[in-house]
Amino acid sequence: MTLSVLDSVAELLLPAKESEVRHASTWLDSACRERGVPPEQINRLDICLNEALANIIFHTGGACLSPNIRLHLDVQLGQSINEASITVSDTCPPFDPLAVVLKPRSQILAEVEPGGLGLTMIRTYSDKLSYRYNEGCNQLKFSTRWIEGR
Amino acid sequence: MPIDFEDETDNLRRISISERLDIQGTEEIATKFAALTASANRRVVLDLTNVTFLASIGIRAVITNAKALQQRGGKMVLFVGNNQAVTKTLETTGIDVLIPMFADAAEAEKAALA
Repeated sequence: MTLSVLDSVAELLLPAKESEVRHASTWLDSACRERGVPPEQINRLDICLNEALANIIFHTGGACLSPNIRLHLDVQLGQSINEASITVSDTCPPFDPLAVVLKPRSQILAEVEPGGLGLTMIRTYSDKLSYRYNEGCNQLKFSTRWIEGR
Repeated sequence: MPIDFEDETDNLRRISISERLDIQGTEEIATKFAALTASANRRVVLDLTNVTFLASIGIRAVITNAKALQQRGGKMVLFVGNNQAVTKTLETTGIDVLIPMFADAAEAEKAALA
């Protein structure tokens, strides 16, 4: 596992394993606090991160070129609007979560499928979301914003 | 273990979950959670007031056990108190529509027994 910190940026390389997700959350919390990200925004990023990592770990079937996932945190503190972004990079087969059309969920407990909420949560908790496939890597970027003093 | 229970009456059980319901936290409670909701005709108040983080895998566990309970003639309701983060997650994912959710403990118990 590698951690490097350069001003507003931090990176973590972690194995794509269930046991590493909690470690990623701990890293995110610490790195965000050091850079002045408020608790609510950290929680929102943490939810997105957990769901993004779960998608990679549970749904790629091990068909990835590298066993590792790279996390890149970028915190931009402006004069009014601030932004914290996480980019999750993996070498699994291309998958654009933004292109997925979410099916309507049943509102009856007996009929509802228990899964499939991860993408909904990423879309709900991020203020900005983007995806690109670049040089063999999926790169999912999600951001939260806040106004100073609120 | 961050899961505990108390039997209020013969058929009303309060299950309390605390800390993080992420992948690791959900795996830690999964077996006991399923066992605590396994009885027939059991009414359950699931206390989530001390959950500090709720990921979709935790929601999946709640739905799975609520469905299983319902299939055995039981019922689950959620008690969230003033836990705003968990409340928001349950509302934005529509879980509060599937499983009744309450901020008040007495209302939750009343609904569970209704």
